[in-house]
Amino acid sequence: MFSSAFAATFESFGEALPEKVMGWTKTGEDQVYDNRTIFEYINGAAEVYRAYGMKGCFSRRYALPEGTGIILDIFDMGSSQEAFGVFTHDLDGDPLDLGQDALYRAGWLRFWKDRFFISITIEQEAQTADQVARELGKAVSSLIASDGRRPQILSCLPSEGLESASIRFFHDSNLLNTHYYLSDENILHLNSRTDAALASYTDSRGSAQVLLVQYPDGEKASLAHKDFLNYYLPDADARGFALLENKKWSAVSLNGELLAVVLEADTRPLAEWLLNEIMETASKSR
Amino acid sequence: MYLKISPPALAGVEMTDKRGKRIATQYPGEIKLKGFHKSSPLRALWDILFNSSAGVHLMTRVKRVLTRRDFLRTGTCAAVGGLIALPLLGSTRVKAGEQSRVVLVRNKEVLDNGGTLRPEILEEMLDQAMCTLLEVPDALSGWRRLFKPDDVVGVKSNVWYHLPTPGELETAIQKRLVAVGVKGKNISVDDRGVLRNPVFQNATALINTRPMRTHHWSGLGTLLKNYIMFTPRPSKYHGNACESLGALWQLPHVVGRTRLNILVMLTPHFHGVGPHSFSARYVWPYSGLIISIDPVAADATGARIIQAKRNLFFGKESPISPPPHHIAVAGSRYGLGHSLPDRIELIKLGWKENLLI
Repeated sequence: MFSSAFAATFESFGEALPEKVMGWTKTGEDQVYDNRTIFEYINGAAEVYRAYGMKGCFSRRYALPEGTGIILDIFDMGSSQEAFGVFTHDLDGDPLDLGQDALYRAGWLRFWKDRFFISITIEQEAQTADQVARELGKAVSSLIASDGRRPQILSCLPSEGLESASIRFFHDSNLLNTHYYLSDENILHLNSRTDAALASYTDSRGSAQVLLVQYPDGEKASLAHKDFLNYYLPDADARGFALLENKKWSAVSLNGELLAVVLEADTRPLAEWLLNEIMETASKSR
Repeated sequence: MYLKISPPALAGVEMTDKRGKRIATQYPGEIKLKGFHKSSPLRALWDILFNSSAGVHLMTRVKRVLTRRDFLRTGTCAAVGGLIALPLLGSTRVKAGEQSRVVLVRNKEVLDNGGTLRPEILEEMLDQAMCTLLEVPDALSGWRRLFKPDDVVGVKSNVWYHLPTPGELETAIQKRLVAVGVKGKNISVDDRGVLRNPVFQNATALINTRPMRTHHWSGLGTLLKNYIMFTPRPSKYHGNACESLGALWQLPHVVGRTRLNILVMLTPHFHGVGPHSFSARYVWPYSGLIISIDPVAADATGARIIQAKRNLFFGKESPISPPPHHIAVAGSRYGLGHSLPDRIELIKLGWKENLLI
């Protein structure tokens, strides 16, 4: 149905994408935003995309004759790691077979492929809207020739018990607080130069949440380790374990530039196992 | 680079809190101020108070690092930073025993079957609410109590294209200001241009009006948040779910000027999706306005309605995310009003069906 020619630029997306899909027609001119003008387009939500280093956004609207619309936004995130990261910002939805990972929730389809994050928003319910959104998704995906790599830090997450649909990747403390409120201060010293992954685990020993942070150097990692112990786990034992007020276990460990935190684990053995696994993997990869 | 100012260096500077009490000498430690302002002590003072972490200490006096464990200790983790459960670490500046009056007015007929706004009914609602808010026999008497003919009035609106402040409401406000003698040239409605708008630059009074909606960073787009355009650096206020939005109301061109807050609840947006944070599926015809002198009380009331709608729609507890704790913080830390229901005198007028509060 659509051309499968490779399109790596917004201009080529504009040329190759269909102008009409199942009675829905392109309306207005395609728009392109940079990391400054994106605010004019999506208001405060732009901060999320900027937190992942967004390079640009291509936007096109399709509409039925009576005006109901579907908005296609293609975000160039600069790298596949960042595209994956922004995809993981909102994990609510049912998985779809599209791109490298895709989710669909009433009115919103999104996926990532290579360095692109694609969002297709249905403005109002209409009979063919869901189908058109999927067709558009396929069309965009076919125009991106290759897959991209996931962030390296994910390889330190133990695979046993990992809920893969829970993995989030980010850099920013505001984003951490959105997913898991930790502190009103940036006690882990997260910034654009730190890679962080948050994931949930469930197995026979119970459930847990793990946070990994990769710092640019060991000094910064040590500072974060120290501050986390000072502000969050002042009652930790010599191995960095503490029983929280909700009877769950939290623990922290450092290996070079990698800081591993078990935020909440149902049992101490589970927290210990997770930290051991992470540290073993980190040691092997150093 | 940091300029270190110890309390004795500030001894000659009148640095007071809202009650006029000097606070500089009460601060026990050293203040680190980014940058040098030797030639401008007032600018230095301003930066200490509002642009430095030391300023946060001064404003709250006892502000410390707040973590998830503080909430776990108080058993309020499920509602971290929520409207009810936020531990008040800063000093509360609202007087005990006082209540803020909030008027919620609804009219089923304000929107027709196609969702089109009926301006004449909207004006009736506005007038009805004003009479009740200020206990006056007619609406213009209320407007006269709030505004004088020589006032310069900026109406802070909201232009977000999915859900803007209705033009019909802006017109109704302007008409009433003119009716009480404010000159047309001294009235301006604006949103993103307020910092360049001469009326706003010279404003003696502000009216704050916007629709309530869920928001990516702050949990809710509130009246408190509507003043974000009064700073050239909005992103500075995004930390910790925008908890410090109340500080906007202390900016020199804003502080003490707001006379009326109108939270538009005609078609509120209760759940955001995607980069546009909007879906028509998640608006509903609530057909209401919330009016108050107290922005915190108005926002807290709107937030309770949004929360109730979410729980109803999703069939389970569905907390607003991120939690809009900037509302409670605006009251507890910045003394802008009341967020707790027992400090709010809520008067409900008009249509009662599916009230949600």
